Amino acid sequence: MQEKTPILQIKEITKCYGDKTILDHISFDISEGEIKVLIGSSGTGKSTMLHCINFLTKPTSGEVVFEGRPINPNSGKELIALRQKVGMIFQNFNLFDHLTAKDNVAIGLIKVKGLSKEAAFERAMKELDQVGLKKLADNYPSQLSGGQQQRVSIARTLAMDPRMVLLDEPTSALDPELMAEVLDVISDLASGGMTMLMVTHEIKFAATVANEFIMLDSGHIIEQGPPDQILNNPQHPRTQQFCSMLNEH
Amino acid sequence: MDFILQEVLPHLIKGLWVSIALIIPSALFGIIIGVIVGSLRVYAPPALKKVTGFYVLIFRGFPLIVQLYIWYFGMPHIGIFLSPFAAAVTGFSLCSGAYHSEYVRGAIQSIKSGQMQAAEALGFSKIKAVLYIILPQAFRRTLPGSSNEFIYLIKYSSLAYMVTCLELTGEGKVVASLTFRYTEVFLMVGVIYLLMNSIASFALKRLEIALEIPGWSD
Repeated sequence: MQEKTPILQIKEITKCYGDKTILDHISFDISEGEIKVLIGSSGTGKSTMLHCINFLTKPTSGEVVFEGRPINPNSGKELIALRQKVGMIFQNFNLFDHLTAKDNVAIGLIKVKGLSKEAAFERAMKELDQVGLKKLADNYPSQLSGGQQQRVSIARTLAMDPRMVLLDEPTSALDPELMAEVLDVISDLASGGMTMLMVTHEIKFAATVANEFIMLDSGHIIEQGPPDQILNNPQHPRTQQFCSMLNEH
Repeated sequence: MDFILQEVLPHLIKGLWVSIALIIPSALFGIIIGVIVGSLRVYAPPALKKVTGFYVLIFRGFPLIVQLYIWYFGMPHIGIFLSPFAAAVTGFSLCSGAYHSEYVRGAIQSIKSGQMQAAEALGFSKIKAVLYIILPQAFRRTLPGSSNEFIYLIKYSSLAYMVTCLELTGEGKVVASLTFRYTEVFLMVGVIYLLMNSIASFALKRLEIALEIPGWSD
C-alpha cells in the first residue's frame, strides 16, 4: 500500500525564549483524516507547539511543511494562506467581543475570503446550526455561556473550510457541565473525518477520538503511539508517571 | 435688552458660525489623526513608532497658542502661507490629534491579546485585524476620553482670534470694545460656549450609548 503524504509535517521545530528552550527539535507528521493529541504536564510546550504551526508564535528554528510545501515564516501572504487552511480553536474561545455570534462567523468570510455579505451570513447560519446555536445567532459573546462561546468559535473556524484544525485546550476554561457540549461537537468533527491536532487534559475523551498520542516532556517528544498503548503500556518513566496520575482521578 | 438684541447678538452669531466652521473640521481631522497615530504607536515598526511618539511629544508639549503663531506667523518665512482660518484648523487638528492618539493607544492596549490572535488565526492580515477587529472595540473605549478632548477643542477654538480669525470670542471682543459692555457681552459669549458644550456632550453620550455592546464592559 502506498503511504499517504502527510498534510502537515513538523520538522525539527525549536522554540526558545531567551536562553530557555521550550521546544527542542520537535518533528512529527499528520496525515489527512488523522487525529493526534499532544499530552503531557503543564508547561511542557504543548500550546507553544500548536502556536508554532500557524506561526502565531514564530519558531526559533525548524520547518513547517503544509501540503508538501515548506512555509516561509516571513511571507505574510503565505501565513495568511496557511492560516485559512489550518483553523485554530483557543482555550479562551477568543470570540470577537463587539460582534454577534453570526457576525463572528461571517466576518472572516467577508473580510478574508471576500464573500458577499449574503453568502457569508447564509454560511454562518449553516455553521451555527451545525453546532446547535442557530437560535442564538444574534447574541453577543457576553450573552453566551462558555460552552456556547466555544461552539461559536468552532463554527467560525469551520466556516473558513480548513483542511485541518488545531485545538488548544478547547475545554479547559469550561465547567464540567459545559464541557460535554463542546466535546460532543469535537467528536462530531472527528467522525466527519476532520484532521486534527489537539492539546487537551481530557485524556479519556481524547483516547476515544485520537489515532495517536504524542507525549511531550520539557520540550521533547518522549513517546508516541496509539492511545491505549500509551495509557496501558507506557514505556518511558515520565509517561508512566503521567499515566498513573491520570488513573488516580 | 433691545441693545443686546440689535447690537450685540448679530455680531456674536456671526462669530458663532465661524467657531462652528472651525470646530467641526478640527474635531474630525483631530480624531482621524488620533486613530491613525494611536494605531501606529502600537503596531508600527520601531522607526515609525519613534516618529509618531515625537509628534505627540511636540504637539502636546508646545502651548497651543505657540503652535498657532508658528502656523500663521512662522510658516510664511518658509514659503507656506495659511489663511487665519486654515492656520487655526491646522493647529487645532494637529494638537487635538496628539491628545486623541493617547486615548486611542490606551484603548488599543486594553483589548485582550486573544482578539488579535483569533483574527490572525482566521487569516486576517495585521492591518485587516486592526481595522475590523481591534479598532471597532478600541474606538468604543476611546470615546469617553475623546469626548473630553472634543469639549476642550470647543473651548480652545477661542484661541483662533489670536491669529486674526474672528470667531465667537473675537467678535465678542470687537463688540465689547465698541460698546464698553464687557460684562454683558462676555457673559453671553460664555453662555454660548456652555450651550455648545452641552449639546456636544449630549450628542457624544448618545453616540456612546448607541455603540454600546450588551455586557461588554471589561
